[in-house]
Amino acid sequence: MEGIYCFKKLDKPWGEICSMKTKDEVLKIFSLKLRAILGRLEIDFGGLQEIRLRINSPLAISYNNREYFVTENASLADNPSDGVIISKNEIRETMEYISNYSMYAFEEEIRQGFITISGGHRIGITGKTIIQDDAIKGMKHISYINVRLAHQVKGCADEVLPYLVDEKNRCIYHTLIISPPKCGKTTLLRDIIRQISDGSRYLPGINVGVVDERSEIGACYMGVPQNELGIRTDILDCCPKAKGMMMLIRSMSPQVIAVDEIGSREDLEAISHVISCGCKLIATVHGSSIEDIRSKPVLGELLQNRVFERYVILNNIKRIGHLSEICDTSGNRIYYSGY
Amino acid sequence: MQITKVVGCILIILSSALMGFYYSGELKSRVNNLKELRKLIVLLRGDIRYGNTPLPEAICAIARRHEGVFKGFFARVSEKLGENSGSTFAQVWAEAVNGELIQTSLNRKDKSGLVQFGENLGYLDKEMQLNTLDLYLSQLEDEISDLSKTVKEKSYLYSTLGIMAGIFISIILI
Repeated sequence: MEGIYCFKKLDKPWGEICSMKTKDEVLKIFSLKLRAILGRLEIDFGGLQEIRLRINSPLAISYNNREYFVTENASLADNPSDGVIISKNEIRETMEYISNYSMYAFEEEIRQGFITISGGHRIGITGKTIIQDDAIKGMKHISYINVRLAHQVKGCADEVLPYLVDEKNRCIYHTLIISPPKCGKTTLLRDIIRQISDGSRYLPGINVGVVDERSEIGACYMGVPQNELGIRTDILDCCPKAKGMMMLIRSMSPQVIAVDEIGSREDLEAISHVISCGCKLIATVHGSSIEDIRSKPVLGELLQNRVFERYVILNNIKRIGHLSEICDTSGNRIYYSGY
Repeated sequence: MQITKVVGCILIILSSALMGFYYSGELKSRVNNLKELRKLIVLLRGDIRYGNTPLPEAICAIARRHEGVFKGFFARVSEKLGENSGSTFAQVWAEAVNGELIQTSLNRKDKSGLVQFGENLGYLDKEMQLNTLDLYLSQLEDEISDLSKTVKEKSYLYSTLGIMAGIFISIILI
C-alpha cells in the first residue's frame, strides 16, 4: 500500500496557499538587514523548513530538505563562504523582536530552549546558560537561533482519521502519534483535532480540549489561536500538560483531550486521570517505533498497560509527514505503507 | 490721556496676573500628570507581575484603556514597537517621551526620569522588571509628595506675584 504524503492531499501545494502569510510572520522577527535579504529571496516560503543564525557563521536555511547558504545578494548558495555572516548585532536585534522587547516574558520558554511566536513557528535558542541550584535559571549571550517554520496543512489527517474512529462507541480511540523530530507529528495532530472538532464524514463534531504547553498546536497570540483547531475546541495555552489536562476535565468537560510531546512522570499520572474520567486522549511523542517507545522508562509503562488503542507512526524517509504504519492496542499493524 | 493710562495699567495687571495664574495652573497640572503617570505605571506593573505580559502588549492595553494625556504617548510607543523598525526599546521610548509629552506639564527633570526608566525596561528577568518599576514608582511618589507639600503655597505665590508684579510695573510706568 502506498504511504500518505500528508501534504499531497491538498488541491494546491501548501506554499501557494499560505506562503505569503508565513513569509510575513517569519520575516518580522529578523533584524532589518536580514529581513531585507530574506525578503528578496525568490523561494516559496511554504517549502522553507528552517532558518539558522549562528554567530560569526553564514546564514543557512533548510529548503525542500536541502541546506543552502543565503548570500548578501539574496540568492542561495551551496558554498558556506558565499553566505552572509551573522554578527552579534544581528542576533541581538533579532532576539529583541522575537521576545517582543521583553525577555522576562519568556523566562520559562528560554529555560526550555525555545520560544513559540505568532503563527506557531518555533524559535530554538542556545547561548550561555545561567545555573542556580542545579537548575537552569535562564540564558544569556544568546548566539544561536534556529527558526523552525510551522505548517498548518489542512487535510493531512484525511487518511489517518478512519483508523482512529471507534464507530461502535461513536468516538475516537486513545491515540499516540509517534515520530522522530521534524516529521510532522504536530501538524498531523493539529489536523486531527480540527477534523474531530468540526466533525467529519466518519464522526459528528465532538468537544476537544487542547493543552498547548508550547503554544505550538493552536499558536495562540494574545489569546486568539492562529491555527484552525475546529469550532468545538477549547485551548489551554502555555499550561503544563499534566496540570492542564486535569484543569480541562474539571472546567470544560471535553470528550477528547489532545496534547503534544508527552513523556514525564506527571504526564503519565494525568493521562491515567484523563482515561479514568472517560475522556479520549490523543498525544504525540518523539520516537521511531513502538519498540522504541516501549524501551523508554515512563512511556513503556503506558504501552505495557495498553492505554493507547491506536499508534500512528510517521517518518520522513521519502517525505516529511510520511505515514509509515498504524497499529492497534496490541501492536498489530492495521496499516503499513511498506517503509 | 488719563483713560489711556488706566486702560494700559489694567491690561498690564491683567496680563501679568494671567501669567501668574498660568504658572500656578502648570504647577497643579504637573502634580496631576505625575499622579496619572503613577497610576499607569502601577497598571503596567500589574500586567507584568500577573500576566507576564510582553511590553508592547501591556503598553497597548494601557493605551486602549486610558483616555488621559498619556494616551498618545503609550499609543505611539506601542505602534512603534509593533513596527520592529530597528530601534531598541529605549530609543522608541525616548523618542515618544520627547515627541508626545509636549502637551503635558511635565518638566525636563520628569521627562529625563521617564527616559531613564525606559532604558531599564525589557532587560533581564521578571524580577528585574518589577524592581525597575518599583524604583520608578518610588521616585514618582517622592516627587509627588514633595510637590504636594508646596503646591498650595507655590501656586498662591505665583498668583499673587503675578498680580503684584502687574501693579508694580503699572506704578513705575505711571
